[in-house]
Amino acid sequence: MELLLPFLAAVLIATGVYLVLSKTMIRLIIGLSMLAYGANLSILLAGSGTELAAPPLLTVEGPYVDPLPQALILTAIVIGFGTTALLMVLAVRAYQAAGTDHVQELLDHPDLLPPEGVYADPEHPSVSPEIGPDTNNINADEGAASNGAESKAEEEKA
Amino acid sequence: MNLVALPVLIPLVAGASLLLFRTARARTIFATLATLLTLLTSLLIAVRSLSGEVLVVQMGGWPAPFGITLVADGLTGIMLLLSGLSGLLTVLFAGSSLQHSPRRGQSALLNRAREAFGVQALFQFLLMGVNMSFLTGDLFNLFVSFEVMLVASYGLLLLGGELAQLREGFKYVVINLVASAIFVIAAGLSYGLFGSLNMADIALRLQANGLDSRVTMVAMLLALVFTTKAAAFPLGFWLPNSYPTPPVAISAFFAAVLTKVGVYALIRAFTLMFPGELTIQTIIFTLAGITMLIGSLGAIARQRWRYLLAFTNIASIGYLLMGAFSRSESGLSAALFYLIHSVLVIFTLFLIAGLAEKISGERYRNEGHLSVYPWLGVGFFISAIALAGLPPTSGFIGKYSLVQALFSYGDALSLIVASIAVISGLLLLYAVMLIWRGFFWGESDAVHLVNLPWAMSAVVVIAVALLLSLAALGGPIFNLSERVAKQLQTNQQYLSQVLPTPGLEPETEELR
Repeated sequence: MELLLPFLAAVLIATGVYLVLSKTMIRLIIGLSMLAYGANLSILLAGSGTELAAPPLLTVEGPYVDPLPQALILTAIVIGFGTTALLMVLAVRAYQAAGTDHVQELLDHPDLLPPEGVYADPEHPSVSPEIGPDTNNINADEGAASNGAESKAEEEKA
Repeated sequence: MNLVALPVLIPLVAGASLLLFRTARARTIFATLATLLTLLTSLLIAVRSLSGEVLVVQMGGWPAPFGITLVADGLTGIMLLLSGLSGLLTVLFAGSSLQHSPRRGQSALLNRAREAFGVQALFQFLLMGVNMSFLTGDLFNLFVSFEVMLVASYGLLLLGGELAQLREGFKYVVINLVASAIFVIAAGLSYGLFGSLNMADIALRLQANGLDSRVTMVAMLLALVFTTKAAAFPLGFWLPNSYPTPPVAISAFFAAVLTKVGVYALIRAFTLMFPGELTIQTIIFTLAGITMLIGSLGAIARQRWRYLLAFTNIASIGYLLMGAFSRSESGLSAALFYLIHSVLVIFTLFLIAGLAEKISGERYRNEGHLSVYPWLGVGFFISAIALAGLPPTSGFIGKYSLVQALFSYGDALSLIVASIAVISGLLLLYAVMLIWRGFFWGESDAVHLVNLPWAMSAVVVIAVALLLSLAALGGPIFNLSERVAKQLQTNQQYLSQVLPTPGLEPETEELR
């Protein structure tokens, strides 16, 4: 175990770095989560040498492993989970808006947009919050209402 | 004294309650009040900590090396005050620009649809994360507050979903996630190495045990993370395109405060925990010189208001790091003065850019606005020469004392970096004069008077007034920053306040 875990952490981090260097968003996201797992594993390793005589706050006989690194990992996992979810949504949105999930293509064509009325993902047509009909439901203020009226007028023209 | 926890708690409660309000007006008013309250508590903390006290709260009553500690010393006081001030102005500017929804595809001002998705609430969480990173005395808690800050900033950066935002936002999220992973590794390693995550405790243990190559490794990882957040060369490539994509009020706060969180963390780590790591400090000092040059050269190449200003922000990060890592106390105190100046000047310039973008779009090559908007021209001119560092502004005081500190230190590297500082000051002057000539100077019949809402203009006037008062009160404030620098040099009081009974240390022996 003593040798296996550092090796595993190294493999995870190396795989993560390799995937992060690729140009497809989904590979990047998988790479980032691997990087996070490697980081968590290395915390476990760094803290695993500290052996306590007794668990903190209790009077039970020891030896006990130090619980703090595990608390740190738990926190880091929760944070990583949230950010990965956000990144997934972001990648889907970018794919819907631009029709590609290739980072280089996004950079080469900064104004890349699918032709009007045609969506990259026909099953989930994306609508920008400023111009879309969604705004009407969310806010009943005059501004949103007039926005909605404008976009309706635009639709009628079309 | 629980006062210290309030700048974290007020934004947290306010951010959660802001989700309950249904109209934009109610949200704006509530957010303004909450931010005002945060500013007031920050002011109270700053007054007490700048008079020489170190305020400490042990959260939950757990004594220092075991529980999480919140500490407010002079540096924290300054930073809290700056974040509170720019936070209040941001909320006011965002609220006042809201009444005027921009056309489709124009991202300069906040519009109602975006505001309805919770900009105000996210901004409160951002403020909470920023304030917590200034206050915390614990390495892992610093990581958590960075994450709170970053997750809120992802939301603010991406709201609206324009293609530029998605593209740059993706880059921003990825670079920050990689940095966070490295931060987690560094925190874990330092727990394994020192048996503690409390920064004061780590400092004491290092004083007792001396340096070691493993300590250097941890310090190196932390420096890598913090320079990424601060956007220093070569890790600042993500900044210049991503900060201009959200609405003006948001990008102003990002540029003025978020990058300074990285600078704060660097100063804190290398004055408190690793003052002995001279090699790393020299590396950061050298990188600071290159950062200044890259920032000012990049600014010249840009054609759009906020894209140019984002590069000047990178240059000012270079100046800050140059002073903070000049290995001399006078350099550190000059850097602290420059920190106050640079937050105010960058913030003001971004707000002015917001008004200008409302008038004539993103690009600044559009002559003849001085005769139509004379007061905007005056405001821009004052902040522009302050950015470039010409007398009689606060920028001159800051840059002069920075360069003087380096020349009096006097080794070859300092002289080279100091001359880079002077040269990039001139380049920055050229960059802002590009805007002056492109936007304000000249004559044009095509310029029409656009009705600017008075509240937005009022916020800009307040920001310019703050900048001017910094120059007018330059002497006292400079003395203050000298005191804070002295406090940071020894950190005696910080250590003894956080860890009042050194005998209480657990039996974890020396470095394993």
